[in-house]
Amino acid sequence: MSARPSPRRARQRSRSSAGPVAVWLIALLVALVATVQLRSQAEVERSLVQADPATLAFSIDQLSRSNDELVAQINDLTQRRAQLQSGGSAAADRQLQAELDQLRILEGLVPVHGPGVVLVIDASGLTALDLQDAINNLAAGGSEALAVNDQRVVAGVPIVQTAGGVTVGGTLTPPPWTILAIGDTNRLAETADAMTQQLRGDRRVRVATYRVESDIVIRAVVTERPFVYGVP
Amino acid sequence: MGRAQPLSTALVALVALAVGFLLAGQVKAQLLTPSNQVGRNQALIRSVQDLERTNQADRAKIERLRAEIDTLEAQAASQSQTTQGLKNQVADLRAHAGLTPLHGPGVEVNLSSGPPGSDASGQNRNLITYQDVQDLVNLLFASGAEGVAVSGRRITPMSAFSGSEGEVIVDQGPPLFSPIRIVAVGDRNGMEAALGDPNSLPSLRIREIQFLLTLIVRGAPDESLPAFDGSLEAPHVGPA
Repeated sequence: MSARPSPRRARQRSRSSAGPVAVWLIALLVALVATVQLRSQAEVERSLVQADPATLAFSIDQLSRSNDELVAQINDLTQRRAQLQSGGSAAADRQLQAELDQLRILEGLVPVHGPGVVLVIDASGLTALDLQDAINNLAAGGSEALAVNDQRVVAGVPIVQTAGGVTVGGTLTPPPWTILAIGDTNRLAETADAMTQQLRGDRRVRVATYRVESDIVIRAVVTERPFVYGVP
Repeated sequence: MGRAQPLSTALVALVALAVGFLLAGQVKAQLLTPSNQVGRNQALIRSVQDLERTNQADRAKIERLRAEIDTLEAQAASQSQTTQGLKNQVADLRAHAGLTPLHGPGVEVNLSSGPPGSDASGQNRNLITYQDVQDLVNLLFASGAEGVAVSGRRITPMSAFSGSEGEVIVDQGPPLFSPIRIVAVGDRNGMEAALGDPNSLPSLRIREIQFLLTLIVRGAPDESLPAFDGSLEAPHVGPA
């Protein structure tokens, strides 16, 4: 007689609608958790994609060598400091003279000698960029002094492409290029080997050879340029 | 109707189960192997970070030692004219070698890689390379730079550039990444003209258009360069 549903019917209706809802909720939850997991995992991977294992291995190798060189420099400077602390003016004179000699070598101001490699490169269509690449590769490969066709090269010596060809420090330097590099012969030979192998793969290249020598003399020097604009 | 409801519940349960299995399969197939790879990469990254910390500490130590030596030399020079003469000569060479800070008119170049995916071929030509930085530094020296620094790393007569995709290493420094900031002190007009020449830096110019690399040049009346804080050891070469 009353419009109100019986308690039994109500219980039946609520039980029958609660089942699918619970299942849907569980399915939704599973999907959500899985999605969150997938996304977070993908994000971790994305942040690491920028550095692939080869790049990381290269960085480790490079940094290890760099750190060894820095330690050698620290040891040298520590020794110099100790000598200065105990030796007074006489020690300072000796050290300053030694540094003067070393800086003149590094800046290409005096003739030098030492072990190293001699590269000969000849090809059609060689440009200033090719020579810059070769010089940089040798510098990165352990070269401590460099010359191309009797022109001394240090960072800062302009290698320029002109209408007449490639100039080094303002002097026309046409191929074939004979590059003298003084430094650690093991490292330099490895670098020169890689360079010449790559060059020989280029059909334009006529000659790409190198040899290791126990004593190379570089007589060419760089002319010192005083600062015009810069103030130390 | 009474029979249809349990059927739909069973169907939903089956769908949920299938979704769960599919997701689990996906996780197994796609994530387990890469997560091992991620683990290996993370170990490599930790090694790089450790080495970078050591590198930074060593360079700071070199800077401190050079400053201490300079002070001790100045003390010795104040007591001897010979020492003072030598110290002046060394100071001039140190300045040219990049071992002391330098300031003056110059230019600042900001070089940035193109957006990811702008090289559809997958060759990553949108990334700046050490050759790009090498070309820029050479151009600056050829057009009147008296001193150059790359993202705070001073260039010396012995400087060399290396690196792999998107990574630039200058001498013994840690890897540098985009954006790279190159500052040069010297003939500002000459450098600005060279950088503005459309025929210079051909590789960069083409990739600026194709892969959206950016090269922003700004002249300034007074730029500052830091001193070199790495090693200038040359144990194999001696005076002839």
